Amino acid sequence: MGASARQAGRGGPLIRNPLDFFGGIALVAIALVAFWGARDLAGSRGISFGPGTAPRLFAGLLAVAGGAVAVLGLVAGGGGVGRYPVRGPVLVTAAILAFAAMIGPLGLALSTFIAILVAAAASPETRWREAVPFAAALTLFCTLLFRYLVGLAVPVWPWS
Amino acid sequence: MPDLLTNLGLGFAVALSPINVALCLTGVLVGTLVGVLPGIGPVASIAMLLPLTFGLPPTGALIMLAGIYYGAQYGGSTTSILVNIPGEASSVVTTLDGFQMARNGRAGAALAIAAIGSFAAGTLSTALVAALGAPLTAIALLFGSPEYFSLMVLGLAFAVVLARGNVVKAVAVILLGLLLSMVGTDPQTGVPRLAFGMPELFDGVGFVVIAMGVFGFADIIRNLEAPRHQQAIVQGRISGLMPTAKDLKGSAGAIARGSVIGSLLGILPGGGAVISSFAAYTLEKRIARDPSRFGAGAIEGVAAPESANNAAAQTSFIPLLTLGIPGNPVMALMIGAMTIQGIIPGPQVMTKQPELFWGLIASMWIGNLLLVVINLPLVGIWVKLLRVPYRLMFPAIVAFCCIGAYSINNSPFDVVLAGLFGLFGYWLVKHDFEPAPMMLGYILGPLMEESLRRAMLISRGDVSVFVTRPVSAGLLALALLLLVVALLPMVRRRRQQVFVE
Repeated sequence: MGASARQAGRGGPLIRNPLDFFGGIALVAIALVAFWGARDLAGSRGISFGPGTAPRLFAGLLAVAGGAVAVLGLVAGGGGVGRYPVRGPVLVTAAILAFAAMIGPLGLALSTFIAILVAAAASPETRWREAVPFAAALTLFCTLLFRYLVGLAVPVWPWS
Repeated sequence: MPDLLTNLGLGFAVALSPINVALCLTGVLVGTLVGVLPGIGPVASIAMLLPLTFGLPPTGALIMLAGIYYGAQYGGSTTSILVNIPGEASSVVTTLDGFQMARNGRAGAALAIAAIGSFAAGTLSTALVAALGAPLTAIALLFGSPEYFSLMVLGLAFAVVLARGNVVKAVAVILLGLLLSMVGTDPQTGVPRLAFGMPELFDGVGFVVIAMGVFGFADIIRNLEAPRHQQAIVQGRISGLMPTAKDLKGSAGAIARGSVIGSLLGILPGGGAVISSFAAYTLEKRIARDPSRFGAGAIEGVAAPESANNAAAQTSFIPLLTLGIPGNPVMALMIGAMTIQGIIPGPQVMTKQPELFWGLIASMWIGNLLLVVINLPLVGIWVKLLRVPYRLMFPAIVAFCCIGAYSINNSPFDVVLAGLFGLFGYWLVKHDFEPAPMMLGYILGPLMEESLRRAMLISRGDVSVFVTRPVSAGLLALALLLLVVALLPMVRRRRQQVFVE
């Protein structure tokens, strides 16, 4: 190891493994939210567990473990957080949320069709001339399979 | 022994009914398909297809789901050999020698050995499941709450040891899973917990919903990050499916060793098929007279991991069927399927519903036979399917998961939750947290709370009950030992880092 690298190791960045550090912090945050969410739950009464005992136990242990992950992220080197792409996560999630919003008012067929197209937009490789007919065929397949073969109790069309 | 034969006879009678054979066939075909297609693993696909089995009778539904699972293990090897892409994580090591064999013009032999190895392993592990089923169930019935609790702690310790990378992070995600499992109504008092006032959460977060999010949606988001490069598929007709006598002789030992390793590791929670294929490959390489052949098309390098992953897929049913404790996310989905069908998993299944228990076991052997018989002729079709580009496949998976998540309770809220868990799962993977141990924690959470609660009641609040009862103490000691062993290399590494500085 050269002199410069050694210097970076000592006086280098405060957080040496941001990946673990922020990961651990997030887990601690989740544990705290759970603590807050469990604030009204009764604890143990004598020897019998209350509904709040196990949630608080697990949340406490998670806070400790998350804290340990964060502390290790401070002292030991490792990878950076890296880049978060936008298009993929946003559009895939949008497709799922759109489906959830549409399935009630619009029925199975239209919701499926639109969700497939929104999802397809998540990839730069999508070719629309191919994606649209594919979405139509897949919608037909899913409708037949889930509505008629599986017998899912959901209207197919907005008017049905 | 005669009991075992009677039981297996009953099992085969159930499994060989035309409807169950048809369901088994459907399962292994769909499983192979899923295994062949890269980018969708067994957990996501079983979660996705679970709603399709709602209308089936319980035995048939479980037979089909089991078929999907071990079919996927087998299908994964096909892509590993032909295109150097593992269809499943459990087939990663098969690419090393399988693809080299294919490049040397021996794709047929590699595929055949994978099939034969899988079948041999399936036979051995099915026999093991059948043989261990009754005695383990008898032991399970003797277990009290403290033993159950300690057993689950041991299971989680195994999951930590078998997880990749940082031990502390593995422990943390397990605890996260335990905490998540607390969302919903407390079974004892009927009080909603951690629902944050949302009535939709009073029933808890469905396991299928989380599995779809964390394994289905999150994988898609991650796959979209990396641009897809079209892989070179082995061109030309695949000929010479029959392995030569030399191949068979060379791989017989590897198949036997792989089957044993897989069967043993499959029983352990947290590991299963993936870890056992790695272990089997490593062993073969270590004991080989000429280790340099590995990576250049050694037939043992295909035979051992393929036997091991199939054996493990099979024996991972043992803890589920005998103790009611699922060892991995796939088994948790099987529990979900059982619960939906009105079956309470656990030792009582074998005594109260022998036709289901033994029928499922017998169907595994039949399924393995079907895999060998149908798959070799179908290789051509699987290769064609591989040409379906990911840009078409992933919107289809999104649609399927959406409809599947919705269909469980006819609830749009479940779809939203699955989507959110998709994002969360993506974040976990980005931060090098493994989702599988989290799922194990999530499955075991309610079982652990229940047994802890009962143990405290029978011991009158004395925590020492876990160490004064010998079986429980032994299980906990083993768990502690495992954790120490897992932590040691980490500590040593840190010391070295300090020394370097």
